[in-house]
Amino acid sequence: MTSADILSLLPLLVVATTGVVVMLAAAFYRNHRLSLILTLAGLLTAFISLPFVSPLTPRQVTSLVLVDGYALFYMGLIFAAGFIVALLTYGYLEQWDGNPEELYVLLLLATLGAAVLVGSSHFASFFLGLETLSVALYAMIAYNRSLRRGIEAGIKYLVLAGVTAAFLLFGMALVYAETGTLAFSGVIAAAGGGPSLQLMVGLGMLIVGVGFKLGVVPFHMWTPDVYQGAPAPVTGLLASMSKGAMFALLLRYFTPVMALERQGLVWVFTAVAVLSMLGGNILALTQDNVKRILAYSSIAHLGYLLVAFLASGPAGQLAVAFYLVAYFATTLSAFGVVTVLSTPDDEAESLRAYQGLYYRRPWLAIIFTIALLSLAGIPPTAGLVGKIFIAAAGVQASLWLLLIVLVLASVIGVFYYMRIVITMFRRPEADVVQPSMVRLPRAASVVLGALSVILVGLGIYPVPVMRIIERTVARLV
Amino acid sequence: MIVVFYIASGVAILSTFLVILQSNAVHALLYAILSLLSVAIVFFSLGAPLVAALEVIVYAGAIMVLFVFVVMVLNLGPGAEGQERVWLQPRTWTGPVILTLVLIGELIYIFLARPGLALGGPAIGPQEVSLALYGPYLLGVELASILLLAGLVGAYHLGREPSD
Repeated sequence: MTSADILSLLPLLVVATTGVVVMLAAAFYRNHRLSLILTLAGLLTAFISLPFVSPLTPRQVTSLVLVDGYALFYMGLIFAAGFIVALLTYGYLEQWDGNPEELYVLLLLATLGAAVLVGSSHFASFFLGLETLSVALYAMIAYNRSLRRGIEAGIKYLVLAGVTAAFLLFGMALVYAETGTLAFSGVIAAAGGGPSLQLMVGLGMLIVGVGFKLGVVPFHMWTPDVYQGAPAPVTGLLASMSKGAMFALLLRYFTPVMALERQGLVWVFTAVAVLSMLGGNILALTQDNVKRILAYSSIAHLGYLLVAFLASGPAGQLAVAFYLVAYFATTLSAFGVVTVLSTPDDEAESLRAYQGLYYRRPWLAIIFTIALLSLAGIPPTAGLVGKIFIAAAGVQASLWLLLIVLVLASVIGVFYYMRIVITMFRRPEADVVQPSMVRLPRAASVVLGALSVILVGLGIYPVPVMRIIERTVARLV
Repeated sequence: MIVVFYIASGVAILSTFLVILQSNAVHALLYAILSLLSVAIVFFSLGAPLVAALEVIVYAGAIMVLFVFVVMVLNLGPGAEGQERVWLQPRTWTGPVILTLVLIGELIYIFLARPGLALGGPAIGPQEVSLALYGPYLLGVELASILLLAGLVGAYHLGREPSD
């Protein structure tokens, strides 16, 4: 390993060091604010280091990690998501009587795992990154130990992640047995050879594992329960960082395999995309719980992303990158609103808790409305621009079936997003029990405001982000 | 060696299956230890003696013994002795003993007959493993330590006594 190798790993090293520092700080001096400040400083440093690392790229650091524009772009997105979740968590846990410091350590370690995942170029780093992310998430989901539902969600996620890991490992073993290499580049090269049953079964098992992590239909059963049981800021993290990192990896390594591979994989992903888009949106229609609605909505959004993935090519890469930026901002903003209305022991999740929100907290209702409009893909928000890019990529690749389903699913989606919006603007009934009216945490308010500005800003003028994406992600294609 | 591999993997599958069929935690642990021991023999027959040794020392040795101790300590109290006598019925220990005898038979066979090379090429010794771990896989080792840290912090938080 040369010094340039170590330098190009700087963002990862900074996040790992911050995790250890926050843990040691909490061991000697427990202070919620100190933990938050250290976490924010670490994530900010890691984010700022990205442009400085960029001239060194692309660089293969040992056989495990490939640091290039693509990895750096998604690392930036992941660090930003971690930063926002840390700020939201502070207000959420401020009044809680448990220990809040461990959550920041786990948050940093999860961020590191996700960052390794997008930079991995080898099955070993892929698996280690994924496990770091998952193990940190188990504990974060069950963080409030006094809630049975939280523990239940944590155990559900633990069991599912265990099954996922088993599928992934067995798939990797089969692929290794066939190709004789664990590096992705070697696997892709070997996949170009003649079709073999062993390789197809291995790839199939990898797809099952990835599908579970992404929560796409038919691997989606865990999503609503875990989203509902987890603390609201952790749910935001789960929906954005965990799924986004996995999707970035899928896009990077399955696209070349699919290009070489037979039609079979394309049909599998097409079926998964159609089922996710329709299933997610239809199942959300019957829900009365905001967190469950957002869970089903995330299933549908992963389906939209799969359309861009199937379109592949530069247009697909661009669409996925932009859509993920929009999706991260939207999801974090939506879960941010849920977070500031919740306390660890009393989550604001039933739709009734939002009735007449506009008359109690007008700004919060407007922010939530913007997020929901963006999820539904209504102008002038980032969600619409993202969907246009996906549709454009789909048209270029002439995926007509997927595009028709995309449009149909979006129309269904508008119903339940609008249901939440209408509930917020409806005058509260006299007998509705209002959630406790605590002071809004200042940090969270600033974050939510900024996210809304980003959502509308990207919806009106997406050019700056497109430039960054073209310079980093699309450079590969 | 191929026969050793198949018998050991058969024992591994059977004993793992029996783990989940037991209603008593200690009996399940007996089968769990057996399953780990047979996996060690599988590793050995595949040409990974170091991994086999680690499997025995770390899993069957340290972790499982810890499990047994914790379960037994939790069960201490008046009447525990009578309870133990009930548990030590022949039908509870004959199963694990028979499977253990199979594994011992395999071990004796390996030592006495020295059946040729491992499956799938030459055996990988400790030196090669260390060179790989601290050469190309250095980052993997560091990442694994971070993974363990995440597990440790999570377990500490979830398992800690409530502060009030």
